[in-house]
Amino acid sequence: MMSRLWQDFRPFLALPDRQARRRLLAGAALAALTGLMGMALLGLSGWFITATALAGLSTVTALAFDVFMPSAAIRLFALGRTAARYGERLVTHDATLAVLAALRERLFRAWSAAGAARALALRPARILFRLTADVDALDTLYLRLIVPLCTGFIAALAAGITLAFISPLLGLAIFAVLILSGSVMVWRISRAATPATLRRAALIEGLRSGVIDLASGQTELLMAGQLPARCADLGALETRLAAHETRLNRIETGAGIVFGVIAALLPPAVLVAAAMSGIGAPGVALALLVAMAASETLAPLRRGALDLARTRLAVRRIGPGLAPPAPSVIPPSPKDGVAVCLHHVTLRHDGAATAVLGDLSLEIRQGEHIALTGPSGIGKTSLLQCLAGEIAPQSGEVFCLPSARLTQRTELFHDSMRGNLRLAAHDAEDAELISALTAAGLESLFDSLPDGLDTMLGDRGQGLSGGQARRLALARMILRNAPVWLLDEPTEGLDGQTARDVLARLHRAKDQKAKDRTTVVTATHTRREAENADRILVLGQGGILAIHIRGSPGFDAALTALRPD
Amino acid sequence: MSNRPKTEDAERPARQPIRLTLLPTLAAVLWLPQAGLLAQAISNVADRMSWGATILPAATAAAIGILRVILGALSERAGHQHARARVSALRMTAIMALSERAPLDRRAIPSGEAASMIAEQADSITPWLARFGPARMKAVLVPLAIFLAILPLSWTAALVLLIAMPVIPVFMALIGWQAQAASKAQLVEIGTMNAFLLDRLRGLATIRGLGATDQVATRVRAEAEGLRSRSMAVLRIAFLTSAVLELFAALGVAMVAVYVGFHLLGDLNFGAWGDTLSLAQGMFILLLAPAFFEPLRDLSAIWHDKAAGQAAQDNLLRLSRSERTLPEAGLPATPPASPGPQAASVLVAGLRFRYGDDGGTLPAGLDFTLAAGEHLALTGPSGAGKTTLLALIAGLDLPQAGRIEIDGEALTAETAPRLRARMAWIGQSPHIFAGSLAQNVTMGRKEIGQEKVSRALSDMHLGAMASIRGAAPIGEGGNGISGGEALRLALARIAVSPAGLVLADEPTAHLDPETAESVTESLLALAQGRSLIVATHDPRLAARMDRRISLPAPATVEAP
Repeated sequence: MMSRLWQDFRPFLALPDRQARRRLLAGAALAALTGLMGMALLGLSGWFITATALAGLSTVTALAFDVFMPSAAIRLFALGRTAARYGERLVTHDATLAVLAALRERLFRAWSAAGAARALALRPARILFRLTADVDALDTLYLRLIVPLCTGFIAALAAGITLAFISPLLGLAIFAVLILSGSVMVWRISRAATPATLRRAALIEGLRSGVIDLASGQTELLMAGQLPARCADLGALETRLAAHETRLNRIETGAGIVFGVIAALLPPAVLVAAAMSGIGAPGVALALLVAMAASETLAPLRRGALDLARTRLAVRRIGPGLAPPAPSVIPPSPKDGVAVCLHHVTLRHDGAATAVLGDLSLEIRQGEHIALTGPSGIGKTSLLQCLAGEIAPQSGEVFCLPSARLTQRTELFHDSMRGNLRLAAHDAEDAELISALTAAGLESLFDSLPDGLDTMLGDRGQGLSGGQARRLALARMILRNAPVWLLDEPTEGLDGQTARDVLARLHRAKDQKAKDRTTVVTATHTRREAENADRILVLGQGGILAIHIRGSPGFDAALTALRPD
Repeated sequence: MSNRPKTEDAERPARQPIRLTLLPTLAAVLWLPQAGLLAQAISNVADRMSWGATILPAATAAAIGILRVILGALSERAGHQHARARVSALRMTAIMALSERAPLDRRAIPSGEAASMIAEQADSITPWLARFGPARMKAVLVPLAIFLAILPLSWTAALVLLIAMPVIPVFMALIGWQAQAASKAQLVEIGTMNAFLLDRLRGLATIRGLGATDQVATRVRAEAEGLRSRSMAVLRIAFLTSAVLELFAALGVAMVAVYVGFHLLGDLNFGAWGDTLSLAQGMFILLLAPAFFEPLRDLSAIWHDKAAGQAAQDNLLRLSRSERTLPEAGLPATPPASPGPQAASVLVAGLRFRYGDDGGTLPAGLDFTLAAGEHLALTGPSGAGKTTLLALIAGLDLPQAGRIEIDGEALTAETAPRLRARMAWIGQSPHIFAGSLAQNVTMGRKEIGQEKVSRALSDMHLGAMASIRGAAPIGEGGNGISGGEALRLALARIAVSPAGLVLADEPTAHLDPETAESVTESLLALAQGRSLIVATHDPRLAARMDRRISLPAPATVEAP
């Protein structure tokens, strides 16, 4: 169990850099200092009052009593405690945010690896919800568990040492009781809370997707007579959720009782023990107040222990993402003069029973333009993904020059026009960006933009028409200096005139490029996208049905079979 | 729907029974006798009694302490139960309202937003409801009780606390605003960060296609660091204000301790109503001083729960108040009817409908009949009311005038659920439910067997997809499914149902011509032996129907 816990958390230990690590340590130290100051304030006050009361009994001792040092120390501790607390909160929160910033970057890198990116494409909102909730859950690990544990340990140590001056056995006993009860309870609470926490997390996700289904699929459910049943399902889900939360509350309050009983028993017990040792009233008062302050550090542990299960779930889901990324499936380059080479390649989707494409062999020369045709779902996109290194072939060998891929959907980001374009070439000058926009046929749009390249494109590129968005995607392809272009239905959803203009510009851009001509592989349903191809590859029955070379009768027949504008 | 929660229940202001708010205060006040006994024990030691004299007061203090802990835990549990029950009621009311809102309502809250209101946001209501009321009560009553306990012993010590007292509420108010502003700003910032991540993750295919992952990852880091520095700027102020509270609390304790010490020493001979404090009294005062400030600290610590909890509750209540609902909303549930297998006939007479101010309208006085088994196309320009008419026939809303009969039975709020069992619906972008392909076909209808599902899937040319995907869940919102596949899936849903009337709303609108053609064929095959009404712009689909009704923008009806 302990080793599994260690395994779960190990990927995160490497996360903070040296500076962040120093901050995390400093935060824990300040928290401990806060606890110590509070303990000293109370203990010293108790000693002071009792000692002054005894000294005050006779005028001689009263005059001899040094009041300056203790009263100054009391004020110092009062001020110091506040300062330490403020510092602690600043440092711990800053350190946490710094670690989370590093974590977000690492996770983004992990999610953008080939396999993960495809999984993400299937369930983006759910995974993102998880991802953000998991990252947010991680801050409790340090703030609510590690820091209180440090504080508790230091407080127990300080109380033990202080009381050891009264009686070594008493000091040892209080240290042992605090450490044992603290660690045993953290262990027990987190264990007891784990099943309910995990089920609760799953139920919340279920509730979320259930509500989405209910709201978006309302008409479908209503017409199928399933609306009341769906509501009843959600009601049952909510009842189970409430039951788990009540169970967690019982664990939490139960732990509160244990900690509370310890905090109620320990100070009076210490009082009696100190009185037994014959140290005198001031010492007894000091012992009592130190024991009170030390046992108060137990209570904050229960929240952290309760959250540990949630944190562990987050850590388990996030952890694999922190492992060094799997070896890239980016295909190696083929021999000179060849852009793409496939040897007996079989492609299969994750978990699919049958292969999409089997035993495929193909060679594409540099500068060639290939059109991939065939009905939807036959494997055109999969083949492009394979060439781009998105899917590793199940068997066979793939060689391909570095490629840029134009996906079916045009993704524009909530960013400036410049930021959107620079995705393709991060260090491109404005002049290059503008010439790419011109080449893509966006010069009139660009002239009309009030802020030029600084114009923000709305959420998911709103504010551009479908044709303009496609042209922007084309501008990005032009900026990206890749020897192979993989185009997935590049003009789908555009009207004929716009589509032809986009295609013409695409070919102009391709031919204008430097010495090595760009190789283009287009997956298409339409005649206009295939008519400039050197070869048409018809996919079907899990492989290549036919290859038609430009000028052959088959080529024209294949073109005619495609969709006109 | 028999146990549907009443909206009034949810609308009732969130207030806990007084015993739930008073019990924690009672538990906290038990510290007074506890402190008195501990002070007495120390005083006994000072009076040179044997250590045995400490046992009785110490043991009693421990016993009271245990009672205090148990009372506290019990009230915490009761408070949680109460708060959690209310969250359930709020959630279920919102869910019911979602299920009963009029499908045609265009101003409805988007489903993603509704889901996060009901699922995650509602989570923050429980701690607020459970903890805030008791904490506020404690913050008022506990300092008062301690003040009243100290006052008869020493007016000076009570005064010291009293001076700190009005300062703290002022700062509490400041902290309240600060914490609220801080947590709001924080939420906005985190929301922006998450939106940024979502935006980039959604476009991962593009980012990968352009080989820009490195660049975007660096940008993610920069954004997160920006979030960090902006959050810290806000937190710095919030922490500073609470540090002031802590400072006054710590200084209050220190001043009380120093005053009592000097007083006992004989240096400060005032403040105890002309008397001198005993050690037990002085110790008692010292032990009470930190407890005087503690409830305020607790309250400020959970202050931010209030902002989040209240916002979440307001959102759920907003969700529960839909302006337009389904006709049968609020009526007792009718037992589901078993639809006959035969085609249904439809009569529409003198229909008049206007939906709100901006919604769809129908040409006034629409009349037509559809014989059993007949296939009808509704055509006409956008906004002519094709979808509205289909929705009225489906009983999704009731007309203002005129009547609709299905198989000779008038469609009313009472009969709508039963008559709907005779119909099946297919929209232009069918919703794909979370679950497998087969689950998406049955949609929970238990009477539909596995064989029937497989047959429907292969009839709709989804057999290959079914064998590839198997029982694996299909993507959220149908991601990974093309528009054509989604429509075929919706057709398969109808194929397994015994409905005698199929209502199709522009089924081929977003499809390329080839797919549209094959969807049309599938729809026609499906409609064999059933009545069919198709609202469409697609002339090829309309031409395949027996008859066409064209809804022009002006109110005339023609039947060719």
